Amino acid sequence: MTSRSFLGLDEKKRFMLALIAPAVFALAMFQIVPILTGANASFRDWSLHDPQKTWIGFSNYRYVLTDEAFLWTVLPNTFGFMFATVSCSLVLGLAIALLLNQRFPGRWLVQTIILLPLMVAPVIAAIMIRWMFNDQFGIVNVVLEALGFEPVAWLTQKWTAFLAILLTDVWLWTPWFALLLLAGLQSLPPEPFEAAKIDAASAWRTFRYITLPMLRPVIVVCVVIRTIDAFRTFDIVWTISAGGPARATELFSLYAYVEAFQFLNFGRGSAAAVIGAVIIILFAMFLYRLLNRWVEVSK
Amino acid sequence: MSVAEAILTPKRRSFLDALAPGGRRVFFALAIFGVCLLFAFPVFWLVLTSLRPGYAVYYVHRGTDFTIENFFEVLSQEVVLKALINSFVISTLATVLSLGVTVTSGYMLSRFRGPIPNAWFAIIYVFRCVPYVSWVLPLYFVTRALGIFDTYWGLLLPHVAVHICFFSWIMKGFFDGIDPSMEYAAMIDGCSRWGAFCRVALPAAIPGITALAILCWLYTWNEFLFALILTAQNTPILTVVMAQFVHELGMEWHLMSATAVLALGPALIVTIFGQKYVIRGLKV
Repeated sequence: MTSRSFLGLDEKKRFMLALIAPAVFALAMFQIVPILTGANASFRDWSLHDPQKTWIGFSNYRYVLTDEAFLWTVLPNTFGFMFATVSCSLVLGLAIALLLNQRFPGRWLVQTIILLPLMVAPVIAAIMIRWMFNDQFGIVNVVLEALGFEPVAWLTQKWTAFLAILLTDVWLWTPWFALLLLAGLQSLPPEPFEAAKIDAASAWRTFRYITLPMLRPVIVVCVVIRTIDAFRTFDIVWTISAGGPARATELFSLYAYVEAFQFLNFGRGSAAAVIGAVIIILFAMFLYRLLNRWVEVSK
Repeated sequence: MSVAEAILTPKRRSFLDALAPGGRRVFFALAIFGVCLLFAFPVFWLVLTSLRPGYAVYYVHRGTDFTIENFFEVLSQEVVLKALINSFVISTLATVLSLGVTVTSGYMLSRFRGPIPNAWFAIIYVFRCVPYVSWVLPLYFVTRALGIFDTYWGLLLPHVAVHICFFSWIMKGFFDGIDPSMEYAAMIDGCSRWGAFCRVALPAAIPGITALAILCWLYTWNEFLFALILTAQNTPILTVVMAQFVHELGMEWHLMSATAVLALGPALIVTIFGQKYVIRGLKV
């Protein structure tokens, strides 16, 4: 083949570009163009009463950043949710990984059962939880009443609805932590554990001073990935509470969606989405730095 | 030093040591049982509810009337049937297209060095973090402008775009694990670059790609936000139809559960028969 022809690119460069061309095209058309459209819309009065879509500068941003609901409900909810779901599923997942790391009959069956939530659509999980926490007929209240407690109207109060959402997310994601941490546990070298056993270290001390530090890199990766994903949680909140009661359980994604598609103010929704994107990218960078430092220290 | 510390501290009697050896085994079995119950019970309860006739659904825990009528009733609704078919078609096509697009992109990232791969990698890395809602809201207008809103293409192509960043990254990992010397050998023997890629590198990456295909299919089947915003009456999607049920016919739990169980079917089949691949896919 001739080395220089089309657009002055040699054969190797052309091959490289051909390999990524379809991906670049799809990414440009369906991710970069929409992001730019959204950024453009966020500076305009893009709502039903203004067909001109007038350029209004930063006033959508000003609206969102001074919105009481956004500042005092949505942001605390989102970060509280991120923190709670990641820490709960990390602790539970680690416990399950330690259990599954032992040999016992029927292990594959237990593993199949634990794999189950990973295959269940978040919407279905939310429907299950909604039904189980139904205030009149749900099994949770039936059990509570049988035990002599008052039934609780789970989904009509802020904190109990939030708890149900949190529970769904933990149910969905604990298995993911468990499987990844189990893989991490199985790849650890056996020598330190043998040494600890010979020196009669207790199970807790072995875990605290050997297992945990050696597992830390895996934990860090899991936590970073999951934290970023938890920020955009939408489907389970939408199905369980739809942000209610009275927008009390709205998370960031829901806020942007509600502004854009229910209040039909697309400019505001886009501004909220841009603010959210900036927040999570900064937060992800911060988290990555912080956790990286912990890994360094533990080495 | 952590190991030294563990050695130097005297052994204390822990809770588990205090139990007799038999008691320890019982404790372990109870923990395993509790974990299984925690993860299996909601699904079990859903299946049970879907099998109850309408008059008994509010007292699932009482009585022994069971029926499979609910499934027939749900399937006789046109929108559910259509949604099942649409979800299946979209998931399958999205899997084929996303893997087709990202396998070459991942190969490129793995085999070449220089400004082009570096730039592409940086782009992928940044766009992975952008929350979906930030580009799916304007995507509504973009697909409208392109005239593909509420069609297969209008949902399919955004789904392919979602997977590009993450999958290219994972595919790079697959090819990193394959020794490139076989490809060089093939090229010395007269294979073109494309030939070396298709005949040597691609077959070696098949196990990883299979795992990714299963996950991609499930992901698209379960996806909600894109389907909610990018489709309307013409292209009902299963997850959206279910979520609408919750808000519209909120009282008919037996029908809702039956729909959910239908949607769960493929996922269960994949979990049971493709477990090996799913686990491998999750670990990448």
